[in-house]
Amino acid sequence: MKTLEELNFPDHLKYDKEHEWALFDGDTVTIGISDYAQDQLGDVVFVELPEVGQTFSKGDEFGTVESVKAVSQLYMPIGGEIVSINTALEENPERVNLSPYTDGWMIKVHPSDTSEMGVLMEKQQYVEFLKG
Amino acid sequence: MVSSNTCWHLDLGQIDYQSAWTLQEQILALRTEGLIQHDVVLFLEHFPVFTLGRRGGHENLLVSESFLRTKDVSLYQVERGGDITYHGPGQLVVYPIVNLNIQKLGVLPFVENLEEIMIRCAAEHGINATRNPKNRGIWVGEKKMGSIGIAVRRGITFHGMALNGKMDLTPFSWITPCGLKDIAVTCMDRETPNAISMSQIRRSVFQHWETVFNVRLNSMAMSDMRSLIDRSRPAAN
Repeated sequence: MKTLEELNFPDHLKYDKEHEWALFDGDTVTIGISDYAQDQLGDVVFVELPEVGQTFSKGDEFGTVESVKAVSQLYMPIGGEIVSINTALEENPERVNLSPYTDGWMIKVHPSDTSEMGVLMEKQQYVEFLKG
Repeated sequence: MVSSNTCWHLDLGQIDYQSAWTLQEQILALRTEGLIQHDVVLFLEHFPVFTLGRRGGHENLLVSESFLRTKDVSLYQVERGGDITYHGPGQLVVYPIVNLNIQKLGVLPFVENLEEIMIRCAAEHGINATRNPKNRGIWVGEKKMGSIGIAVRRGITFHGMALNGKMDLTPFSWITPCGLKDIAVTCMDRETPNAISMSQIRRSVFQHWETVFNVRLNSMAMSDMRSLIDRSRPAAN
């Protein structure tokens, strides 16, 4: 396990309490799990993602990750329609551990209500939250 | 006085899989809603049953389902991690409903703690069990003696671990345990020349649980848990 100082939290992302990150780019939001989350999970061996076209509300379960004989649920940091999923994770789930913010992205969403973005945490708030 | 690092402990004795699964879901709901203030740990033994993890396929079941019916063994597919496994009398099953966020524990250290408890219990009985980070659970040489399969919902764990104590291992030969080919399975009774009982194993796991998780296990009667569950439900019309 890494210490907080050893973990990486990019400034340009938003974070939620379930340890997802969100990248807002035009009308699309890319979502994955944070460096803290991947470190706490251990080696990810399987990622289960939704289908393109499915719609979820903020806080809904959108998939699962399996690591160390544990299946953990993933939650939507923002509501919306799934417009793309990272199919590469099917063959290479370890990307979630190796590069959680780039190759390890999970879904792209077209948000239904952009005002939900406001309740997500900035990097500094998220780090404070992790310090608890 | 019940301090914050207290955990409720319920010993369910021998129980069928479906009843224990339903109970876990009910306790999980109580814990998620904050209607129960402490984590809960269930100790039990199952009647013979096979369970498949979320991704487990029937290909690792080497006998037909009709054969299982003749042996009175049921089969469930559940949401935990891992592949196929067997539970039966003489195996101590522990289902922790633990809020990882409150305990400030990651999934990986939580799983390592479960392994540690089983390893210490084995050591107490003169058995040298080890972990293998590639294949979770505990091992005596090449033989598997304890298994892990958990699920995490909103930061709270359920399902758990199974330590083979003093049991008939035959049903393991009807499956490819954990989906791993060519692995052998053992139990504590086979690995020590000393007499061993399930009550000793229960006591030992109880004590090591308190040390490894740094909690105090307080016993709760099933009737008390049942009234908590009943009170949380909307009255039936």
